[in-house]
Amino acid sequence: MMMMRRRRMMAADFLQIPDDEKGYDLNLFCVPKHYEEDLESVIIPHGLIMDRTECLARNIVEDMGGLSPVVALCVLKGAYKFFADLLDYIKALNQNSDQSVPLTVDFITLKSYRNESTTDVKVVGEEELSALTGKVSTFSIADIVETGRTMETLLSLLNKYNPKVVKVVSLLVKRTPRSCGYRPDYIGFEVPDKFLVGYALDYNEHFRDLNHICILSESGKEKYRK
Amino acid sequence: STCSCGCGFQISDEEQGYDLDLFCIPKHYVNDLERVYIPHGLILDRTERLAREIMRDMGGHHIVALCVLKGGYKFFADLLDYIKALNRNSDRSIPMTVDFIRLKSYCNDQSTGEIKVIGGDDLSTLTGKDIIDTGKTMKTLLQLLRQYNPKMVKVASLLVKRTPRSVGYRPDFVGFEVPDKFVVGYALDYNEYFRDLNHICVISEAGKEKYKA
Repeated sequence: MMMMRRRRMMAADFLQIPDDEKGYDLNLFCVPKHYEEDLESVIIPHGLIMDRTECLARNIVEDMGGLSPVVALCVLKGAYKFFADLLDYIKALNQNSDQSVPLTVDFITLKSYRNESTTDVKVVGEEELSALTGKVSTFSIADIVETGRTMETLLSLLNKYNPKVVKVVSLLVKRTPRSCGYRPDYIGFEVPDKFLVGYALDYNEHFRDLNHICILSESGKEKYRK
Repeated sequence: STCSCGCGFQISDEEQGYDLDLFCIPKHYVNDLERVYIPHGLILDRTERLAREIMRDMGGHHIVALCVLKGGYKFFADLLDYIKALNRNSDRSIPMTVDFIRLKSYCNDQSTGEIKVIGGDDLSTLTGKDIIDTGKTMKTLLQLLRQYNPKMVKVASLLVKRTPRSVGYRPDFVGFEVPDKFVVGYALDYNEYFRDLNHICVISEAGKEKYKA
Protein backbone atom coordinates (compact mmCIF):
# COMPACT_ATOMS: atom_id res chain seq x y z
CA MET A 1 0.00 0.00 0.00
CA MET A 2 1.34 3.42 -0.90
CA MET A 3 2.20 5.59 2.10
CA MET A 4 0.77 9.07 1.79
CA ARG A 5 3.12 11.75 3.05
CA ARG A 6 1.38 13.96 5.59
CA ARG A 7 2.71 17.39 6.33
CA ARG A 8 2.72 18.92 9.78
CA MET A 9 0.50 21.98 9.56
CA MET A 10 1.92 25.12 11.10
CA ALA A 11 -0.15 28.04 12.26
CA ALA A 12 -1.12 30.53 9.55
CA ASP A 13 -0.50 28.07 6.73
CA PHE A 14 -3.49 29.26 4.77
CA LEU A 15 -5.97 32.12 4.66
CA GLN A 16 -9.15 30.79 6.21
CA ILE A 17 -12.52 31.85 4.83
CA PRO A 18 -15.20 31.07 7.41
CA ASP A 19 -18.37 29.11 6.74
CA ASP A 20 -20.61 32.11 7.29
CA GLU A 21 -18.65 34.31 4.86
CA LYS A 22 -21.21 35.82 2.50
CA GLY A 23 -18.72 37.44 0.15
CA TYR A 24 -18.89 40.87 -1.44
CA ASP A 25 -21.66 42.40 -3.51
CA LEU A 26 -21.04 42.02 -7.27
CA ASN A 27 -21.63 45.74 -7.77
CA LEU A 28 -18.45 46.53 -5.89
CA PHE A 29 -16.32 44.81 -8.54
CA CYS A 30 -15.87 44.48 -12.31
CA VAL A 31 -17.55 41.29 -13.48
CA PRO A 32 -18.18 40.23 -17.12
CA LYS A 33 -21.64 41.34 -18.18
CA HIS A 34 -22.56 37.86 -19.34
CA TYR A 35 -22.24 36.52 -15.78
CA GLU A 36 -24.06 39.24 -13.86
CA GLU A 37 -27.15 37.12 -13.17
CA ASP A 38 -25.25 33.90 -12.55
CA LEU A 39 -23.27 34.76 -9.45
CA GLU A 40 -24.24 35.23 -5.82
CA SER A 41 -21.24 37.22 -4.61
CA VAL A 42 -17.48 37.67 -4.92
CA ILE A 43 -15.86 35.56 -2.23
CA ILE A 44 -12.16 35.97 -3.08
CA PRO A 45 -11.34 39.06 -5.17
CA HIS A 46 -8.65 38.64 -7.84
CA GLY A 47 -6.24 41.03 -6.17
CA LEU A 48 -6.40 39.05 -2.94
CA ILE A 49 -5.68 35.86 -4.87
CA MET A 50 -2.60 37.55 -6.35
CA ASP A 51 -1.34 38.81 -2.99
CA ARG A 52 -1.70 35.41 -1.38
CA THR A 53 -0.07 33.74 -4.40
CA GLU A 54 2.89 36.11 -4.13
CA CYS A 55 3.47 34.91 -0.60
CA LEU A 56 3.11 31.24 -1.56
CA ALA A 57 5.77 31.85 -4.21
CA ARG A 58 8.15 33.16 -1.59
CA ASN A 59 7.53 30.17 0.70
CA ILE A 60 8.07 27.77 -2.17
CA VAL A 61 11.29 29.41 -3.35
CA GLU A 62 12.66 29.34 0.19
CA ASP A 63 12.05 25.58 0.28
CA MET A 64 13.17 24.98 -3.32
CA GLY A 65 16.75 26.04 -2.62
CA GLY A 66 18.46 22.69 -2.66
CA LEU A 67 15.94 20.91 -4.83
CA SER A 68 17.07 21.70 -8.36
CA PRO A 69 16.07 20.69 -11.00
CA VAL A 70 12.44 21.49 -10.37
CA VAL A 71 9.50 20.54 -12.55
CA ALA A 72 6.36 22.62 -12.07
CA LEU A 73 3.42 20.46 -13.10
CA CYS A 74 0.17 22.20 -13.95
CA VAL A 75 -3.04 20.26 -13.36
CA LEU A 76 -5.27 21.42 -16.23
CA LYS A 77 -7.62 23.01 -16.79
CA GLY A 78 -8.67 24.57 -13.49
CA ALA A 79 -5.16 25.37 -12.28
CA TYR A 80 -3.97 27.17 -15.41
CA LYS A 81 -4.42 30.69 -13.99
CA PHE A 82 -2.97 29.87 -10.58
CA PHE A 83 -0.07 28.08 -12.27
CA ALA A 84 0.71 31.03 -14.58
CA ASP A 85 0.48 33.60 -11.78
CA LEU A 86 2.40 31.51 -9.22
CA LEU A 87 5.19 30.91 -11.70
CA ASP A 88 5.32 34.59 -12.57
CA TYR A 89 5.95 35.40 -8.90
CA ILE A 90 8.55 32.64 -8.63
CA LYS A 91 10.28 33.96 -11.77
CA ALA A 92 10.26 37.46 -10.28
CA LEU A 93 12.04 36.14 -7.20
CA ASN A 94 14.47 34.18 -9.36
CA GLN A 95 15.47 37.20 -11.40
CA ASN A 96 15.80 39.53 -8.41
CA SER A 97 17.88 37.61 -5.94
CA ASP A 98 21.32 36.14 -5.62
CA GLN A 99 20.10 32.62 -5.97
CA SER A 100 17.77 31.21 -8.50
CA VAL A 101 16.34 27.78 -9.12
CA PRO A 102 15.83 26.60 -12.71
CA LEU A 103 12.31 25.50 -13.43
CA THR A 104 10.84 23.50 -16.26
CA VAL A 105 7.12 23.19 -16.80
CA ASP A 106 4.73 20.45 -17.73
CA PHE A 107 1.00 19.96 -18.03
CA ILE A 108 -1.32 17.13 -17.17
CA THR A 109 -5.10 16.83 -17.22
CA LEU A 110 -7.07 15.00 -14.55
CA LYS A 111 -10.69 14.40 -15.43
CA SER A 112 -13.05 13.12 -12.79
CA TYR A 113 -16.08 11.19 -13.87
CA ARG A 114 -18.88 10.86 -11.42
CA ASN A 115 -20.77 7.58 -11.59
CA GLU A 116 -23.54 6.52 -9.20
CA SER A 117 -21.34 5.52 -6.34
CA THR A 118 -17.75 6.36 -7.26
CA THR A 119 -15.61 9.07 -8.68
CA ASP A 120 -13.13 7.84 -11.27
CA VAL A 121 -10.15 9.94 -12.15
CA LYS A 122 -8.74 9.71 -15.65
CA VAL A 123 -5.30 11.04 -16.46
CA VAL A 124 -4.47 12.60 -19.83
CA GLY A 125 -0.84 13.19 -20.62
CA GLU A 126 0.72 10.52 -18.46
CA GLU A 127 3.33 9.78 -21.16
CA GLU A 128 4.89 13.13 -20.41
CA LEU A 129 5.59 12.09 -16.84
CA SER A 130 8.20 9.58 -17.95
CA ALA A 131 10.68 12.47 -17.85
CA LEU A 132 10.26 12.60 -14.08
CA THR A 133 13.18 10.47 -12.96
CA GLY A 134 14.68 10.17 -9.53
CA LYS A 135 16.65 13.36 -10.06
CA VAL A 136 13.86 15.89 -10.27
CA SER A 137 11.75 17.59 -7.65
CA THR A 138 8.13 17.98 -8.65
CA PHE A 139 5.74 20.66 -7.57
CA SER A 140 2.20 19.91 -8.68
CA ILE A 141 0.00 22.97 -8.94
CA ALA A 142 -3.73 22.41 -8.42
CA ASP A 143 -6.73 24.71 -8.19
CA ILE A 144 -8.79 23.06 -5.47
CA VAL A 145 -8.71 20.02 -3.20
CA GLU A 146 -12.12 18.79 -2.09
CA THR A 147 -12.35 15.07 -1.38
CA GLY A 148 -8.64 14.69 -2.02
CA ARG A 149 -9.16 11.70 -4.24
CA THR A 150 -7.92 13.39 -7.40
CA MET A 151 -4.74 14.40 -5.60
CA GLU A 152 -4.23 10.90 -4.27
CA THR A 153 -4.52 9.57 -7.82
CA LEU A 154 -1.98 12.11 -9.04
CA LEU A 155 0.42 11.33 -6.22
CA SER A 156 0.38 7.56 -6.76
CA LEU A 157 0.98 8.27 -10.42
CA LEU A 158 3.95 10.54 -9.70
CA ASN A 159 5.42 8.15 -7.16
CA LYS A 160 5.61 5.50 -9.87
CA TYR A 161 8.40 7.55 -11.48
CA ASN A 162 10.22 8.05 -8.18
CA PRO A 163 11.08 11.74 -8.34
CA LYS A 164 13.32 13.03 -5.56
CA VAL A 165 10.56 15.19 -4.16
CA VAL A 166 6.80 15.31 -4.61
CA LYS A 167 5.07 18.43 -3.35
CA VAL A 168 1.60 19.79 -3.99
CA VAL A 169 0.48 23.40 -4.05
CA SER A 170 -3.25 24.05 -4.08
CA LEU A 171 -4.87 27.47 -4.31
CA LEU A 172 -7.97 26.27 -2.43
CA VAL A 173 -8.79 23.53 0.06
CA LYS A 174 -12.44 22.91 0.90
CA ARG A 175 -13.67 22.17 4.39
CA THR A 176 -15.97 19.27 3.63
CA PRO A 177 -17.05 16.05 5.37
CA ARG A 178 -16.32 14.30 2.06
CA SER A 179 -12.61 14.95 2.47
CA CYS A 180 -10.37 11.89 2.73
CA GLY A 181 -8.03 13.86 4.97
CA TYR A 182 -5.38 14.74 2.39
CA ARG A 183 -3.71 18.14 2.88
CA PRO A 184 -1.40 19.72 0.24
CA ASP A 185 2.04 21.04 1.22
CA TYR A 186 1.13 24.61 0.36
CA ILE A 187 -2.39 26.07 0.59
CA GLY A 188 -3.65 29.46 -0.55
CA PHE A 189 -7.09 29.59 1.02
CA GLU A 190 -9.25 27.24 3.06
CA VAL A 191 -12.83 27.68 1.95
CA PRO A 192 -16.36 26.60 2.97
CA ASP A 193 -18.23 23.78 1.24
CA LYS A 194 -19.90 25.98 -1.39
CA PHE A 195 -19.75 25.74 -5.18
CA LEU A 196 -17.04 28.21 -6.19
CA VAL A 197 -16.29 29.41 -9.72
CA GLY A 198 -13.89 31.81 -11.38
CA TYR A 199 -10.10 32.23 -11.72
CA ALA A 200 -10.18 29.19 -14.04
CA LEU A 201 -12.47 27.12 -11.78
CA ASP A 202 -15.50 26.12 -13.80
CA TYR A 203 -19.07 24.98 -13.68
CA ASN A 204 -19.52 22.82 -16.79
CA GLU A 205 -16.71 24.75 -18.51
CA HIS A 206 -18.28 28.15 -17.78
CA PHE A 207 -16.82 30.85 -15.52
CA ARG A 208 -13.19 30.13 -16.35
CA ASP A 209 -13.17 33.60 -17.93
CA LEU A 210 -14.00 35.33 -14.64
CA ASN A 211 -11.08 36.66 -12.63
CA HIS A 212 -12.56 36.72 -9.10
CA ILE A 213 -13.56 33.59 -7.22
CA CYS A 214 -17.31 33.77 -6.72
CA ILE A 215 -20.23 31.81 -5.31
CA LEU A 216 -22.48 30.41 -8.02
CA SER A 217 -26.13 31.50 -7.82
CA GLU A 218 -29.11 29.12 -8.14
CA SER A 219 -30.05 30.70 -11.46
CA GLY A 220 -26.47 30.25 -12.64
CA LYS A 221 -26.53 26.56 -11.68
CA GLU A 222 -29.78 26.11 -13.57
CA LYS A 223 -28.70 28.08 -16.64
CA TYR A 224 -25.43 26.22 -17.20
CA ARG A 225 -26.61 22.79 -16.15
CA LYS A 226 -25.49 20.09 -18.62
CA SER B 1 -5.40 53.57 -42.75
CA THR B 2 -4.49 51.39 -39.81
CA CYS B 3 -2.33 48.33 -40.36
CA SER B 4 -4.35 45.14 -39.91
CA CYS B 5 -3.05 42.77 -37.32
CA GLY B 6 -1.68 40.50 -40.03
CA CYS B 7 1.58 42.51 -40.12
CA GLY B 8 2.56 42.63 -36.52
CA PHE B 9 5.19 44.76 -34.87
CA GLN B 10 8.20 44.53 -37.18
CA ILE B 11 11.57 43.68 -35.70
CA SER B 12 14.22 44.25 -38.34
CA ASP B 13 16.97 41.84 -39.34
CA GLU B 14 19.57 44.32 -38.02
CA GLU B 15 17.97 44.53 -34.58
CA GLN B 16 20.59 43.67 -31.95
CA GLY B 17 18.38 43.67 -28.92
CA TYR B 18 19.37 44.99 -25.49
CA ASP B 19 22.23 44.31 -23.12
CA LEU B 20 21.29 41.76 -20.45
CA ASP B 21 22.53 44.10 -17.71
CA LEU B 22 19.72 46.51 -18.41
CA PHE B 23 17.11 43.97 -17.31
CA CYS B 24 16.33 41.46 -14.57
CA ILE B 25 17.29 37.96 -15.67
CA PRO B 26 17.30 34.78 -13.57
CA LYS B 27 20.81 34.26 -12.27
CA HIS B 28 20.95 30.73 -13.64
CA TYR B 29 20.70 32.01 -17.25
CA VAL B 30 23.11 34.89 -17.10
CA ASN B 31 25.78 33.15 -19.22
CA ASP B 32 23.36 31.38 -21.52
CA LEU B 33 21.86 34.38 -23.28
CA GLU B 34 23.23 36.83 -25.80
CA ARG B 35 20.75 39.75 -25.60
CA VAL B 36 17.22 40.63 -24.56
CA TYR B 37 15.31 40.75 -27.78
CA ILE B 38 11.74 41.58 -26.79
CA PRO B 39 11.34 42.78 -23.20
CA HIS B 40 8.45 41.32 -21.22
CA GLY B 41 6.66 44.64 -20.79
CA LEU B 42 6.68 45.20 -24.53
CA ILE B 43 5.21 41.74 -25.06
CA LEU B 44 2.38 42.65 -22.67
CA ASP B 45 1.71 46.01 -24.30
CA ARG B 46 1.48 44.44 -27.74
CA THR B 47 -0.69 41.63 -26.38
CA GLU B 48 -3.07 44.16 -24.86
CA ARG B 49 -3.61 45.65 -28.30
CA LEU B 50 -4.11 42.22 -29.90
CA ALA B 51 -6.82 41.52 -27.33
CA ARG B 52 -8.70 44.60 -28.45
CA GLU B 53 -8.38 43.67 -32.15
CA ILE B 54 -9.58 40.13 -31.43
CA MET B 55 -12.63 41.30 -29.51
CA ARG B 56 -13.49 43.67 -32.30
CA ASP B 57 -13.24 40.95 -34.96
CA MET B 58 -14.81 38.00 -33.21
CA GLY B 59 -18.34 39.22 -33.69
CA GLY B 60 -20.11 38.35 -30.48
CA HIS B 61 -20.27 34.56 -30.67
CA HIS B 62 -19.15 32.24 -27.95
CA ILE B 63 -15.38 31.92 -28.19
CA VAL B 64 -13.31 28.83 -27.50
CA ALA B 65 -9.73 29.85 -26.79
CA LEU B 66 -7.44 26.97 -27.66
CA CYS B 67 -3.96 26.99 -26.17
CA VAL B 68 -1.20 25.12 -27.95
CA LEU B 69 1.07 23.84 -25.18
CA LYS B 70 3.66 24.20 -23.98
CA GLY B 71 5.17 27.22 -25.70
CA GLY B 72 1.85 29.02 -26.02
CA TYR B 73 0.92 28.97 -22.34
CA LYS B 74 2.23 32.40 -21.32
CA PHE B 75 0.90 34.22 -24.36
CA PHE B 76 -2.43 32.41 -23.90
CA ALA B 77 -2.72 33.37 -20.22
CA ASP B 78 -1.76 37.00 -20.79
CA LEU B 79 -3.89 37.43 -23.92
CA LEU B 80 -6.91 36.00 -22.16
CA ASP B 81 -6.33 38.26 -19.18
CA TYR B 82 -6.55 41.28 -21.47
CA ILE B 83 -9.66 39.90 -23.19
CA LYS B 84 -11.26 39.29 -19.80
CA ALA B 85 -10.46 42.85 -18.76
CA LEU B 86 -12.27 44.11 -21.86
CA ASN B 87 -15.18 41.81 -21.12
CA ARG B 88 -15.75 43.14 -17.64
CA ASN B 89 -15.27 46.79 -18.54
CA SER B 90 -17.50 47.28 -21.52
CA ASP B 91 -21.17 47.11 -22.33
CA ARG B 92 -20.91 43.97 -24.31
CA SER B 93 -19.06 40.89 -23.27
CA ILE B 94 -18.41 37.59 -24.99
CA PRO B 95 -18.42 34.28 -23.09
CA MET B 96 -15.20 32.34 -23.43
CA THR B 97 -14.28 28.76 -22.61
CA VAL B 98 -10.75 27.41 -22.75
CA ASP B 99 -9.02 24.28 -23.90
CA PHE B 100 -5.47 22.97 -24.13
CA ILE B 101 -3.80 20.76 -26.68
CA ARG B 102 -0.31 19.60 -27.41
CA LEU B 103 1.07 19.03 -30.89
CA LYS B 104 3.57 16.22 -31.20
CA SER B 105 5.53 15.72 -34.36
CA TYR B 106 6.57 12.21 -35.17
CA CYS B 107 10.22 12.18 -36.15
CA ASN B 108 10.70 9.65 -38.88
CA ASP B 109 13.57 9.67 -41.38
CA GLN B 110 12.05 12.25 -43.66
CA SER B 111 10.78 14.61 -40.94
CA THR B 112 7.47 14.97 -42.77
CA GLY B 113 6.04 17.30 -40.16
CA GLU B 114 3.22 14.88 -39.42
CA ILE B 115 1.60 16.14 -36.30
CA LYS B 116 -0.53 14.44 -33.70
CA VAL B 117 -2.86 16.43 -31.50
CA ILE B 118 -2.96 15.33 -27.89
CA GLY B 119 -5.44 16.39 -25.29
CA GLY B 120 -8.30 18.79 -25.55
CA ASP B 121 -11.91 17.97 -24.86
CA ASP B 122 -13.94 16.21 -27.45
CA LEU B 123 -13.26 18.62 -30.29
CA SER B 124 -16.74 18.11 -31.71
CA THR B 125 -17.89 20.57 -29.07
CA LEU B 126 -16.18 23.17 -31.24
CA THR B 127 -18.90 22.91 -33.87
CA GLY B 128 -20.60 26.24 -34.32
CA LYS B 129 -18.18 28.17 -32.13
CA ASP B 130 -15.47 30.69 -32.85
CA ILE B 131 -11.92 29.59 -32.08
CA ILE B 132 -8.78 31.55 -31.43
CA ASP B 133 -5.67 29.46 -31.53
CA THR B 134 -2.34 30.49 -30.04
CA GLY B 135 0.92 28.70 -30.80
CA LYS B 136 3.50 27.75 -33.37
CA THR B 137 2.53 25.02 -35.81
CA MET B 138 -0.65 25.75 -37.63
CA LYS B 139 -1.50 24.09 -40.87
CA THR B 140 -2.19 20.59 -39.58
CA LEU B 141 -4.10 21.92 -36.63
CA LEU B 142 -6.31 24.03 -38.85
CA GLN B 143 -7.15 21.06 -41.04
CA LEU B 144 -8.11 19.11 -37.96
CA LEU B 145 -10.28 21.88 -36.58
CA ARG B 146 -12.12 22.40 -39.85
CA GLN B 147 -13.42 18.83 -39.68
CA TYR B 148 -15.61 19.92 -36.78
CA ASN B 149 -17.22 22.81 -38.63
CA PRO B 150 -16.70 25.68 -36.24
CA LYS B 151 -18.37 28.94 -37.26
CA MET B 152 -15.10 30.81 -37.43
CA VAL B 153 -11.46 29.85 -36.81
CA LYS B 154 -8.81 32.46 -36.18
CA VAL B 155 -5.19 32.11 -35.21
CA ALA B 156 -3.23 34.44 -32.99
CA SER B 157 0.50 33.97 -32.82
CA LEU B 158 2.81 35.98 -30.64
CA LEU B 159 5.67 35.66 -33.13
CA VAL B 160 5.96 35.11 -36.86
CA LYS B 161 9.42 34.45 -38.26
CA ARG B 162 10.70 35.83 -41.51
CA THR B 163 12.25 32.71 -42.91
CA PRO B 164 12.73 31.13 -46.34
CA ARG B 165 11.35 27.94 -44.77
CA SER B 166 7.96 29.55 -44.38
CA VAL B 167 5.06 27.79 -46.09
CA GLY B 168 3.44 31.14 -46.64
CA TYR B 169 0.89 30.76 -43.88
CA ARG B 170 -0.04 33.97 -42.05
CA PRO B 171 -1.98 33.97 -38.77
CA ASP B 172 -4.93 36.34 -38.42
CA PHE B 173 -3.36 38.17 -35.46
CA VAL B 174 0.40 38.65 -35.13
CA GLY B 175 2.25 40.07 -32.16
CA PHE B 176 5.74 40.53 -33.61
CA GLU B 177 7.37 39.69 -36.90
CA VAL B 178 10.92 38.63 -36.15
CA PRO B 179 14.10 37.71 -38.05
CA ASP B 180 15.20 34.10 -38.41
CA LYS B 181 17.01 33.81 -35.08
CA PHE B 182 16.53 31.17 -32.39
CA VAL B 183 14.68 32.95 -29.61
CA VAL B 184 13.83 31.70 -26.13
CA GLY B 185 11.87 32.89 -23.12
CA TYR B 186 8.24 33.77 -22.35
CA ALA B 187 7.50 30.02 -22.45
CA LEU B 188 9.50 29.42 -25.65
CA ASP B 189 12.14 26.81 -24.92
CA TYR B 190 15.41 25.32 -26.02
CA ASN B 191 15.17 21.65 -25.03
CA GLU B 192 12.71 22.57 -22.25
CA TYR B 193 15.01 25.28 -20.81
CA PHE B 194 14.27 29.01 -20.73
CA ARG B 195 10.52 28.66 -20.29
CA ASP B 196 11.08 30.29 -16.88
CA LEU B 197 12.47 33.48 -18.39
CA ASN B 198 10.05 36.33 -18.93
CA HIS B 199 11.77 38.30 -21.71
CA ILE B 200 12.24 36.92 -25.19
CA CYS B 201 15.98 36.59 -25.69
CA VAL B 202 18.59 35.33 -28.13
CA ILE B 203 20.44 32.31 -26.81
CA SER B 204 24.26 32.42 -26.65
CA GLU B 205 26.62 29.79 -28.09
CA ALA B 206 27.47 28.77 -24.55
CA GLY B 207 23.79 28.33 -23.81
CA LYS B 208 23.24 26.20 -26.90
CA GLU B 209 26.13 23.97 -25.91
CA LYS B 210 25.16 23.71 -22.24
CA TYR B 211 21.55 22.73 -22.86
CA LYS B 212 22.12 20.56 -25.93
CA ALA B 213 19.84 17.52 -26.01
